Amino acid sequence: MNAFKPVLTEHIHQKDCHTLPFYKSVGGYKALEKVLAMQPDAVIQEVKESNLRGRGGAGFSTGVKWGFIPKDSDQPKYLINNADESEPGTFKDRLLMNKTPHQMLEGMIIASYAINCNTAFIYIRGEFYKEYQLLKKTLAEAYQANLLGQGIFGSDYNLEVVIHRGAGAYICGEETGLIESLEGKRGWPRIKPPFPAIEGYLHCPTVVNNVETLACLPHIINHGADWFKSIGSEKGPGPRLFCVSGTVNNPGVFEEPMGISLKELIFDRAGGIPENKQLKAVFPGGSSSAILTAEEALDVKMDFEDLVEKKSMLGSAGVIVMDETVDMVQACLNIARFYAHESCGQCTPCREGTAWLVKMLTRIVNGQGKPDDIDMLYEITDNIGGRIDFSKGSFGKTICPFGEAVAWPVRSFVEKFENEFRSYIQQVEAVA
Amino acid sequence: MPLLKIDDLEIEVKNGTTVLEAALENGIDIPYYCYHPALEIVGSCRMCLVQVEGMPKLQVSCNTFVGEVPPERKVDGNFDMVVQTQNDLVIQERKNILEFLLLNHPLDCPVCDQAGECYLQDYSFKFGNAHSRFDEDKRVRPNEYLGSQIVINHNRCILCSRCTRFTREISGTSELFVDERGYSSKIAALEDRPLNNLLAGNVADICPVGALLSTDYVHKNRIWNLQKKSSVCQDCSVGCNIDAFYQKRKIFRLNPRENQDVNGYFMCDIGRYGFHRFEDLERVTRPLFKSNGIFSEISWDTAIEKIGDKFNGAEEKVAGVLSPFHTNETNFMLGRFIKGIIGTFPHIEDEEITYPSGFRISSDRSPNKRGMHDVCPSIVDDLASEINDKEIRVIYILDNEIDKEIDETWNKILTKMDFIVVQAYAMTRLAKSAHLILPGLAPFEREGTITNDQGRVQWLRSVLPNNGESRPDWEILNLLYKTGERFSDINELMKGMGEQFPSYSGMTFFKLGDQGLPLNGNLKT
Amino acid sequence: MNTMATPQEKFIFANPDKVDRIFSQYPDKKSATLSLLHLAQAQEGYISGSVIDTIADLVECHPAIVMDCVSFYSMFFTKPQGRHKIQVCQTLSCSVNGADALVDHVTNKFSIKPGETTDDRRFTLMKVECLGSCGTAPVVQINNDYHEGLTNERFNELLESLP
Repeated sequence: MNAFKPVLTEHIHQKDCHTLPFYKSVGGYKALEKVLAMQPDAVIQEVKESNLRGRGGAGFSTGVKWGFIPKDSDQPKYLINNADESEPGTFKDRLLMNKTPHQMLEGMIIASYAINCNTAFIYIRGEFYKEYQLLKKTLAEAYQANLLGQGIFGSDYNLEVVIHRGAGAYICGEETGLIESLEGKRGWPRIKPPFPAIEGYLHCPTVVNNVETLACLPHIINHGADWFKSIGSEKGPGPRLFCVSGTVNNPGVFEEPMGISLKELIFDRAGGIPENKQLKAVFPGGSSSAILTAEEALDVKMDFEDLVEKKSMLGSAGVIVMDETVDMVQACLNIARFYAHESCGQCTPCREGTAWLVKMLTRIVNGQGKPDDIDMLYEITDNIGGRIDFSKGSFGKTICPFGEAVAWPVRSFVEKFENEFRSYIQQVEAVA
Repeated sequence: MPLLKIDDLEIEVKNGTTVLEAALENGIDIPYYCYHPALEIVGSCRMCLVQVEGMPKLQVSCNTFVGEVPPERKVDGNFDMVVQTQNDLVIQERKNILEFLLLNHPLDCPVCDQAGECYLQDYSFKFGNAHSRFDEDKRVRPNEYLGSQIVINHNRCILCSRCTRFTREISGTSELFVDERGYSSKIAALEDRPLNNLLAGNVADICPVGALLSTDYVHKNRIWNLQKKSSVCQDCSVGCNIDAFYQKRKIFRLNPRENQDVNGYFMCDIGRYGFHRFEDLERVTRPLFKSNGIFSEISWDTAIEKIGDKFNGAEEKVAGVLSPFHTNETNFMLGRFIKGIIGTFPHIEDEEITYPSGFRISSDRSPNKRGMHDVCPSIVDDLASEINDKEIRVIYILDNEIDKEIDETWNKILTKMDFIVVQAYAMTRLAKSAHLILPGLAPFEREGTITNDQGRVQWLRSVLPNNGESRPDWEILNLLYKTGERFSDINELMKGMGEQFPSYSGMTFFKLGDQGLPLNGNLKT
Repeated sequence: MNTMATPQEKFIFANPDKVDRIFSQYPDKKSATLSLLHLAQAQEGYISGSVIDTIADLVECHPAIVMDCVSFYSMFFTKPQGRHKIQVCQTLSCSVNGADALVDHVTNKFSIKPGETTDDRRFTLMKVECLGSCGTAPVVQINNDYHEGLTNERFNELLESLP
């Protein structure tokens, strides 16, 4: 395959690439100028046409989401940039914020214009302090250059952008949890209906978009929906930032077209596994996806459809590689503990179920597992979240997709490496 | 109107009704914890999950709204929504949710106050697994006082958040919050701002399990030992509807009863715990006559004779003191008997408190001032002055609250009286000042009607039996008449009252039922 | 009852201009809560009872509601911490790249286990969840700064350089 010319990360290795003068020198804010001469509806249409799907994890069509905002409502509309990157294995938004914050900002302004929003927020996770300081400077640059504030580019469009820091809660990356947090409360996700597009921040129509999703927008405007659709898989096209970490030689963010093979990502871009050890398992889409065995991983394309077919998901495209030295039971416990720590506690299955999983897995790791435990692990995960085969009625047990986010990975560990779990338990029986 | 099919039932519902509301109104038992009709919907307990045809996910019935759909989307061409609440999938999910809820719940029904009236018990019995498969260490926390009236047993709490929502939406005082997150979540109050508002008692009512308990009632009795009587609170002129739980001669607790025209779902702590002040009183149970400063028992006949002599002899130079703490029937009878002037003791106003939800505690802490004025229109404004002006020396007084201090003016009046009859139930200061005491009933023994300050007449039902030779207050006054002129029973009395006061015409206990009726002609059939 | 440090003196923001600026950014007062909490914690080192009271006054709500918010987020501390909060990421990618060794290093060198503070209040050791920089694992955040791709040696040098 020809080397793909990066779009989002084209200039990240150049000096001062984060500054406004640099961004303008490579064509920055031309898309915004173009957009301000368009009707908002036309912008929505173009983005719909492009088949851009959200890069936060859910993969919902961005243009369609924008289209849900009621046109006849006289309530203020809000756009929120979800920079609460907390999905284990994902670190691409941080890169974009550090290296090309203006690209993200331009996307934000385009999105805000499309939905008639005049106040937009950047919800950035609290731990990203350096990025927060940098974004403050970025906004100051933009305000000074009249790219924000009153009468942008001499048009009659006004936009204020506010940075809001989170304070350490993974669940605030979920859109309704984020909105609650923005309103100054604990980040407990809301039940739907009502949907954020109708009643979101302060009961007003709200759209929440991921950093990378917004970063794609200037390019769609500049080069057109057809260009975007031509990159990678048609149903979910575009350049995508794939994060690879775990047991690899060259971890990092790799911009590739949607649909690149996972094998190429791991063994070519990320330099393969240290000391030529064997691949054992991979998380393809952040820790909320089901793991793939080595055999499955070597045969899959990184796009929405192929991964669903392999009974996993693309999610945040955070690839976590685990080689033969990684104990699957320990890894399972590690992930379960993450979810138990981040569970918001509002609804019953998640609050009680995640803790139950951790207690059981801890017991197993400590050599006190019982033969029934394996079946119980299957049952508990099924009772918290839906089955990955989307079997009828298995969904809806929790208020938000956190239930699926803990159920899918934990269940997949047990399913695909059941022998490792059994060997922990058999050791007990052998001793006894 | 949308057509909803729940299981085998086909019903028309109002647009925007939730599936849960429709089910409950039609006798279909969908279990729930976090839902409460007075509170915002949160859908967090997940107990009310049902399967809705056409929706891939299970839905919480508390937040699934039924509305009209276009003809091409109607199920079976007919129904706007079809819901399954009893199929295998839903039943299994309920079992699973219950298992999660019971993970840390201690098996202490034998010592838990909520036993017998516990939703967790009921649903476990109906829907749950026989035993839990949880084999790990349970999360254990010590009990805590959230306020002087409410104690929380954290281990039983299922975090339905009804209590925190109550303090935010109903009382508006926001003392309760959820501390921490996930598995460590627990209900808490700030140490320097405990749950001490006047609606605090309600959180123990709305707690579906035995987590929040009323310190007043904790460990005192069991629901299956108690009998229940519906009545009306007598601690202010709002007239909240209550259920009184009693065993033999003792009331153990009062709970609010739903009445959307009076108190909604709640009651205040003044009324809730007010029954205690009638508990250890020195009761008067026989007619007493004072001679040489000492009271001695006399027979009813003797008492009535003495009263007849004194009152007939004084003709119109008699006064009657009515009471807004007594029923319409009692006040009516006294007003009728007194040929002279009638009035009341000075009325003391207390604080009027209104909560954000609209719940109100009236500044008038008597239950029947409105009714008293309705059935005794000739009440004078300043009884004390009129008594002095007209030099009245014979007076008949209905007791007024318990053992209040008698003010200067009235002290002077009473000392000048030749003959004071006090109809009381306890040996109060007022009773001690009498020449003759007639034993009436205490507030929870009385039966009759009272009218709240919104003009609603309600049936005050007696909860406890009479004491000794005490008689209903209206009956005592009835005895003051010649045999032929007496009312044969309270229903006759009400008829007579209605003949004289048209707005009360046609009133019977049966018509009032347990929700009462507003005046303005609604009492007529 | 929730055990907070009993409020003593009233907490006052050192920089009222910053407070005003925060309020000016949001359409309603309550939304300013998290930003005000960050500002207060930067000033006081932790969120005390008086901080909660002051912020409750400013955003016009009951202190219990502010506490409800504070107790939810892992970055807000209701007790004083060490001068340097050593937050070692323990989630998967960091875990398979030597995070445990870093934690053990601190425990062995300064005799504190995760959740504990040294007697001289110099260090508090914490295990935290994914810090969003898995590509440079293992990652440690000390107060506001990320330290990425740490080896035991570099970690040791770093710790020794902290006052």
